Amino acid sequence: MRDLFRFLLGIRDTLLFLALMVVASLLLYSGNMHHRAVAINSSNAVAGTVLAWRDQVAEYTNLREVNARLAAENADWRNRHSSAYAPSVNPVVRINDTLHAQQYAYVPAKIVGSTWHKQRNYVTLDKGEANGVRKGMGVIGPDGIVGVVHDASARFASVISVLNPEVKTSVKLKRSGNFGLLYWDTGDPASASMVDIPKHVRVAVGDTVVTMGGDGVYPTDAPVGVVAEVSSPPGRPDQAVVVRLFEDLTRSGYVYVVNDLRRAERDSLQQRQQPQ
Amino acid sequence: MIGSAITNLGRFAVLILLQVMVVDHLRLAGIWIVPYLYVLFLLMLPFELPAWGGLLIGAATGLTMDLFNSTPGMHMSACVLMMFARKRLLRLMAPRDGYEFGMRPTVPGMGLAWFATNAGVLIAIHHLWLFFVELHRFDAFFSTLGRALLSTIATLGLCLLAQLLTTRTALKSRA
Repeated sequence: MRDLFRFLLGIRDTLLFLALMVVASLLLYSGNMHHRAVAINSSNAVAGTVLAWRDQVAEYTNLREVNARLAAENADWRNRHSSAYAPSVNPVVRINDTLHAQQYAYVPAKIVGSTWHKQRNYVTLDKGEANGVRKGMGVIGPDGIVGVVHDASARFASVISVLNPEVKTSVKLKRSGNFGLLYWDTGDPASASMVDIPKHVRVAVGDTVVTMGGDGVYPTDAPVGVVAEVSSPPGRPDQAVVVRLFEDLTRSGYVYVVNDLRRAERDSLQQRQQPQ
Repeated sequence: MIGSAITNLGRFAVLILLQVMVVDHLRLAGIWIVPYLYVLFLLMLPFELPAWGGLLIGAATGLTMDLFNSTPGMHMSACVLMMFARKRLLRLMAPRDGYEFGMRPTVPGMGLAWFATNAGVLIAIHHLWLFFVELHRFDAFFSTLGRALLSTIATLGLCLLAQLLTTRTALKSRA
């Protein structure tokens, strides 16, 4: 018995090493899927606060560019606003529009931290549960989709970027309506792959790719990118399509968190349909 | 002993903040060079530190980085592996009479060649592990290897630069 203790004492550092590696591996594999008491991601208040400090210091350096983007976006909204249209006929009756109920509410948020040069990229936003941001909501920028919220604290949210192979987005070709999954395996922050497009579908370089919608994450037809390369590798049931993303994820700035107001209703319906 | 603990704690705070606020935003060569200067804190821990202490400090440091990067376990495992290798490497690279009390694992303490070798090997271990765990697959083997090695060179360069800058101020304050 004493020999056993002496032996264990002799290899105690190796045992500690192995124990710590097991803990790290458990964290790595249970990773971002499970709920934990303490979130090990940047939605954590400490990390979020430090990243927000940094952003406060650095935000002046790109104000010019951010302003230009906001101005362009404002102009775009203004063009769609009713005041931009002169009535072509005199309105006689005002109708309370019950055909068009609001389906999406957008929460504006600022990117306080983001990576694009790693193999798994995340974005941290300065809005959290206090502002209505919840896990699973989509995030879109002025030009295209950005990612999906995977955790939110009271004041911060951590978003899995489109530049992360963990997230697969349902997208479709705007022209033909054929759908597939957008998946980041290119290693290039400006592009991603679209998989599951069958070989008989004609895909042309320059085709616009938009979101499928209907999943409660992104609205339907939100811009994603354009087809940059198409090839038909043998031994694969689908075509290899490379999409150039509209949203420049290497920039910081303002984005919108998408709140699908009908999501709860659809989710509960789909849950009821599933066999118990 | 307590002075050394405070110095190391200060170095930990400075290097983590430097990593998160500055180094993580360096765009040296896109996805090819991603330096992790914070490992300098682990490289400069005193020789007298027992192995178990080094492993626990490595785990805590890695977990702190994971907190900022939303990567649970990734930096933690890389740092723990690096600290495990460090104890063995230090034994391998010890002077003939062992380390004297008060010797420091720094450029002025052990010389440039010793520090560069020791730091280079450990940073390479840390980065190779980190980049392959981050990738989670092996199909982009050579590009990942290239990224890890280029980043190792960048991190080593930053570590030497940091030593150079802090050593000069130390000499000045002594004079």
